[in-house]
Amino acid sequence: MGSREVSWELLQFGVAGLKNGAIYALVALGFTIVYASTNVINFAQGEFYMLGGMFATFVFAHLGLPLGLAAVAAVVATAATAVVFELLAVRPRVGGDPMTIIIVTVGGSVLLRSLARHAFGSDELALPAFSQGGSIMVGGAAIDRQTLWVWGIAALAVAALWVLYTRTRLGRAMRATAVDGEAARLVGIDTRLLVTVSFGLAAVLGAVAGLVVTPLTQTAYDVGAAIGLKGFAAAILGGLGNPVAAVVGGIVLGLLESLSVAFISSTYKDAIALAVLLLVLFLRPSGLLGRTRREKV
Amino acid sequence: MSRLRTALPAVAVAAAVLALPLFVHDRYLLKVLSYVGIDVVVVLGLALLFGFAGQISLGQAAFFGIGAYTSGVLVAVHGWPWVAGVAAAVAASAAAGALLALPVGRLRGHYLAMATLGFSEIALVAFTELKGLTGGTDGLSGIPYPALGPFAARTPGANYVLVWGVAAVAYVVAANVVALRPGRALRALHGSENGAQACGIDVGRTKVVAFSAAAGLAGLGGALYAHLVGFISPGSFTLELSILLVAMIALGGMGSLPGAVLGAVLLGMLPYLDAVVPGLPKSAVEVLQSWEADIYGLVLILVMLFMPRGIAGALRRLRRERGGER
Amino acid sequence: MSLLSAHGLTRRFGGLVAVDDVSLEVFEGTILALIGPNGAGKSTLFNLLTAFDRPNAGTVVFDGRDLAGMPPHRVVRLGLARTFQNTQLFEEMTALENVLTGAHTQTRTGWARAALRLPGTGREERLAREEAQRLLRLVGLAEVAHVHASDLPHGTRRLLEVARALASRPRLLLLDEPAAGLNNAETEQLARVLRQLRDGGVTLVVVEHDMGLVMDVSDEIVVLNEGRKIAEGPPLLIQKDPAVIAAYLGEEQLDA
Repeated sequence: MGSREVSWELLQFGVAGLKNGAIYALVALGFTIVYASTNVINFAQGEFYMLGGMFATFVFAHLGLPLGLAAVAAVVATAATAVVFELLAVRPRVGGDPMTIIIVTVGGSVLLRSLARHAFGSDELALPAFSQGGSIMVGGAAIDRQTLWVWGIAALAVAALWVLYTRTRLGRAMRATAVDGEAARLVGIDTRLLVTVSFGLAAVLGAVAGLVVTPLTQTAYDVGAAIGLKGFAAAILGGLGNPVAAVVGGIVLGLLESLSVAFISSTYKDAIALAVLLLVLFLRPSGLLGRTRREKV
Repeated sequence: MSRLRTALPAVAVAAAVLALPLFVHDRYLLKVLSYVGIDVVVVLGLALLFGFAGQISLGQAAFFGIGAYTSGVLVAVHGWPWVAGVAAAVAASAAAGALLALPVGRLRGHYLAMATLGFSEIALVAFTELKGLTGGTDGLSGIPYPALGPFAARTPGANYVLVWGVAAVAYVVAANVVALRPGRALRALHGSENGAQACGIDVGRTKVVAFSAAAGLAGLGGALYAHLVGFISPGSFTLELSILLVAMIALGGMGSLPGAVLGAVLLGMLPYLDAVVPGLPKSAVEVLQSWEADIYGLVLILVMLFMPRGIAGALRRLRRERGGER
Repeated sequence: MSLLSAHGLTRRFGGLVAVDDVSLEVFEGTILALIGPNGAGKSTLFNLLTAFDRPNAGTVVFDGRDLAGMPPHRVVRLGLARTFQNTQLFEEMTALENVLTGAHTQTRTGWARAALRLPGTGREERLAREEAQRLLRLVGLAEVAHVHASDLPHGTRRLLEVARALASRPRLLLLDEPAAGLNNAETEQLARVLRQLRDGGVTLVVVEHDMGLVMDVSDEIVVLNEGRKIAEGPPLLIQKDPAVIAAYLGEEQLDA
């Protein structure tokens, strides 16, 4: 085997890694956004990803909407679900014992997953590719057209989020709250509203990730837990609460997984994210890009 | 004398629970109650770790599984006596719990929840992929009934007595621990780690012991389960079980052993309500079983919203408001 | 004889030097007060002295033993106890249980002995309870022994934390602003307790804003300003020290 084939093969793994990495980045952003407004991890984040794919397949197959509209409807429906969940279950406990919110979101993840099973069944569901045609060849590596969609939409979502954060009052309020919630409240920012908004945004990002990847992987009611763990691993790898770090963490995690498949075996691909998660938690909970925060005695 | 008097109601309850098979011959009911008894054993461990020490674990299913596989493999494959298998199961789970606690002991809140969840998923990968040992997704079958020398517990009645006997012992042990110095150290962790350190409590070591005890009891429950059912597969040790156990504590009430038992009985009985409600139509039971997870999720949310200290906490508050200070 | 001696303690947070080359001696059987304007580094120094925080430079020696690298719970075993500026009580426990927990180092019952209720555990528990009741009486909280810490008023909580710290039978007790939030009667009760403790052989270090209390009870005062020690000596000298007066100029706490 020539060295050229080897490098094309590596590129192929790189493509797969960047594809998964983009998805992890979106889910990680969801964790980060909710964490920034509540200081708590939303254990239901993975279910937003699941709902995005499930709503999209349902709307497309049963309501006969065109794919693009089905996608938009799925994102809206997921965001609405998240906002309702936040208003009913999270809001009454915001600002209280963080453990309470953790348990509420754990309960929410179980509930959403089971409700999805009842609503959409337990079979794997598929969605057609967003655009027809064969793979695009880059030298010896093939790039699936849907992978381009994944990259494009992920990039668009990140860009939109960046504009929101830097160019709008809402975004500035969210950033201020992330730095110091108490101070934000004192200057008149409605931090409770921001929690609701953050759940909605996190759901949009999760749903987008879930539906854009469904043509490649199919989806089912129980895909949320695994992607939630991976998204969290990505978020914490970069440093929880920092959007840039979430994106970097997602991409790094995707590439790490791909490399492990390339050099070790695919059996333990899913264990890579778990190993990363545990290693980061054990060694540097503030993340690679984060600062360690001291607790005042 | 006074200790005897306070212990009397508990002894009476234990005797009544253990004597049940003398009056009840419904095999289905006894089987269901045996499973509930196993839940009780496992939940008592989580009560020490989460209910008293405030250290959440979303990974108890992993320890339950380690116990089940350890005893299952040793007894079914290697021909160990049942007692030795169970003892090894408890030791293996407790050791795994201690090993996990060494690094995660520094973590709190959602970090701890995620770390234990991640550990649980890794254990699940191991149960599935170590096919030579565990049988992979096909599972491990032919695990014999519990037996002590010539005496084997083959009937539902015998299994019931065994499980609830173990549960009673576990309860007494846990109650003794929480009533005395080690229990105060656990509760101190929950209250304030700084305060605990200022009292001379080795916070790290206490966490290791608490994790280890909780894991050991989960492993004990897992071993009992493996020998009662005779077959185990990774599907029995998933995140759903871990969350169910947390829901039992949340419903029963943090920091209360009777609450934990109550939570385990209420939620553990739920899918088998027909065993205690004779007239219940089969369709209703099927609906209940199909919506089991939804109900657990909803229970978690509703308890946190309306009764954050669970049933025990609500009763405690009621008593305090009536002015009946202990 | 010096029971606790700190030498050249320095603690930096990023660019900020919170404690800057501070040395001090605490003599057995005395009450030393640590005072200074807000942000002078008192609490940081306090955490360094009790091993809750590590210095960037300098040493702390308690009773001839260097505390470097020692975890805080070990320090308690040596006979050095503390309270906190923000009380760190166990809210879900009663006042009595809080004090019993404070006796952790004075009792031995471990998991195995407790689980089996081995002989001796009951006796140890009974003795610990009697001692805890005595300490609650000492700080004037016998009435609320069975009230949950979360239900206690602010001033009472501080006194409870003192009782809990005493349960470890400390030779040196460090109190972080024990009079903050106490009313006059409670402050007097506190002053009485402090003197009683000193006369009973407990050495005390007190971080305090209440100058009345400081001047009333302390044998020796160390004044910090901007992380440095600017003065030390008996109360009467400190009151007249020009550097101290300058540091406190504009500070309203002086006569609070």
